[in-house]
Amino acid sequence: MGQGPVSGAGGGAAGPRQSPLVLARSTDAAPRARGLAWHRVNRVQERLLAYALILPVALLIAGLIAYPFFNAIWLSLTEKMVGYPAHFVGLKNYVTLWDSARFRIVAWNSVVYTVGSIGAKVVIGLAMAAALQKAVRGTQFLRGFLLLPWVIPTVVIALTWRWLLDLYRGLVNVSLLDLGIIKAGFHWLGNPDLAMLSVIIANVWRGFPFFGVSFLAAMQTVPQDLYDAASVDGASAWQQFWRISLPSIKGVVAIVTLLSTIWTLNDFNIVYIMTRGGPGAATHIFATYSYELGIQSQRWGMAMAASMYSLPVIALLIVFVVRYLHRDEVAS
Amino acid sequence: MNVRIFRWLVVAVLLLLVAVPLYWILATSFKTGRQILMSEGVYFPRPFTLENYLYLFEETRFALWLRNSAVTAIASTLISLAIGSAGAYALTRLRFPGRRSFGALVLITYLVPPGLMFIPLYRTFIQIGYTNSLGTLIIAYPTFLVPFVTWLLMGFFRSIPRELEEAALVDGATRLQTLRRIVLPLAAPGLLAAGLFCFTLSWNEFLYALIFIADDNLRTLPVGLSEFVVSDFAFWGQLMAAAALASLPVVLVYIYLHKYMVSGLTAGAVKG
Repeated sequence: MGQGPVSGAGGGAAGPRQSPLVLARSTDAAPRARGLAWHRVNRVQERLLAYALILPVALLIAGLIAYPFFNAIWLSLTEKMVGYPAHFVGLKNYVTLWDSARFRIVAWNSVVYTVGSIGAKVVIGLAMAAALQKAVRGTQFLRGFLLLPWVIPTVVIALTWRWLLDLYRGLVNVSLLDLGIIKAGFHWLGNPDLAMLSVIIANVWRGFPFFGVSFLAAMQTVPQDLYDAASVDGASAWQQFWRISLPSIKGVVAIVTLLSTIWTLNDFNIVYIMTRGGPGAATHIFATYSYELGIQSQRWGMAMAASMYSLPVIALLIVFVVRYLHRDEVAS
Repeated sequence: MNVRIFRWLVVAVLLLLVAVPLYWILATSFKTGRQILMSEGVYFPRPFTLENYLYLFEETRFALWLRNSAVTAIASTLISLAIGSAGAYALTRLRFPGRRSFGALVLITYLVPPGLMFIPLYRTFIQIGYTNSLGTLIIAYPTFLVPFVTWLLMGFFRSIPRELEEAALVDGATRLQTLRRIVLPLAAPGLLAAGLFCFTLSWNEFLYALIFIADDNLRTLPVGLSEFVVSDFAFWGQLMAAAALASLPVVLVYIYLHKYMVSGLTAGAVKG
């Protein structure tokens, strides 16, 4: 970690930012005097150390994120035939996709999957936070247990839901039949609409605990006085939730929703494992479709162009989140 | 409706919602192949058997996948901790031109979804001729781990009183001595938490492992698991046993991490 030049300069004296408290405590005057003398050198030294420390992060971002990403944008503007080098085709891939019925289904599915999953997660998350807000016995344990879906591998979750929703032997159909609620098992993963519902259910199951715990943490920072005052004024629990809890956590709700949207719009694992995008293209979303075009059909330019269609939305959301979080970070 | 009843109703429904699929994993993993096939008394394993677990180790490459996952997760975690903690220290404690923009850049890279990056990264690995090795994953995982670690540790470093460091500097310690003797020991719990988070993220990673690795012997657990399902048929007993075992390490890690997750829950502490 930048050992050589920096530590070699030695005697790193106090910078200009030391607090009066520290100065008052320091009984040895020598370092302080030296501090003034070393001031300029120290400033340079601090910068060198900083650059040395961030160099690995910078190299990683440049080499394995920025370069691949911009290279892929270029790739989306090219076409490659077997036996020939890739050549520039402009926006042809984008136009082809735009005109493709299958791609439009993919784009629409991605929106349905994202909005459906996140809508359900917000509602269930709010219910969870509201229910756990007042200290009930065993809240700590309950919260810990409810977070389990968020910890275990997504692949395990997707496989488990595939098995739960199995037509003949899955627990869901078998227990619904045993309870006499239905006469014949639902074809969960075989019917286009039910298949979309199924992947959303698995996604919600995995994600709602994180929403709930985030909302809960935010709600617990609301001063109890507000609720007490509202109770005195005769506000019902329902009104307190709508008028006090919800308005005070809306920032957290917004940020969690934005973060989740960024990742859900380009989700891959759950759909790939549960349906492979099927039946037909009923559950195909951006990432599974890119996989089909790129990895399976080797149409790399087209695959990248398909991914790029989600970029404007993703970029916009990232800007929102960065502005929000970075502002917090600077303030603290 | 009575608020107390409503509260308990919600809690009960959520508990059931989480518990039932988890129970289904365990119950299935202890059933015989015959019981699963015939759908006999689906609610409990009867007779109770460990044959699925034994099968994994005797007849499949489960042990190999376990090893591959462990090697990949541990190596990429250590690399990411080293790189990320250095970056986080510089970003919170040192002053240099471009600091703010670099902080924003790290946050942006943290947010870029893997679903958007898998083809670009794969193409890059093909260009440099380095695919199909555990090493590929070990250097690919830091692309999402390092931004995460850096962001998480910036919070921890900020919580360490600056005065402690300044006192050491005044007393003549070098920056690096300060880092080693004061900051790192104080940040140790944070480093441990960040490391365990990284381990969990790597252990659970599926997409990159699916695409960058073609060799059967180099598969990680999630990919190995996904290939149990052959066309529409699956050996659910063995598969659920594998699912239970694959989840065990991260659940154990989580039991320890729980207090960090709940108390220090920063927005987007983990992707998902």
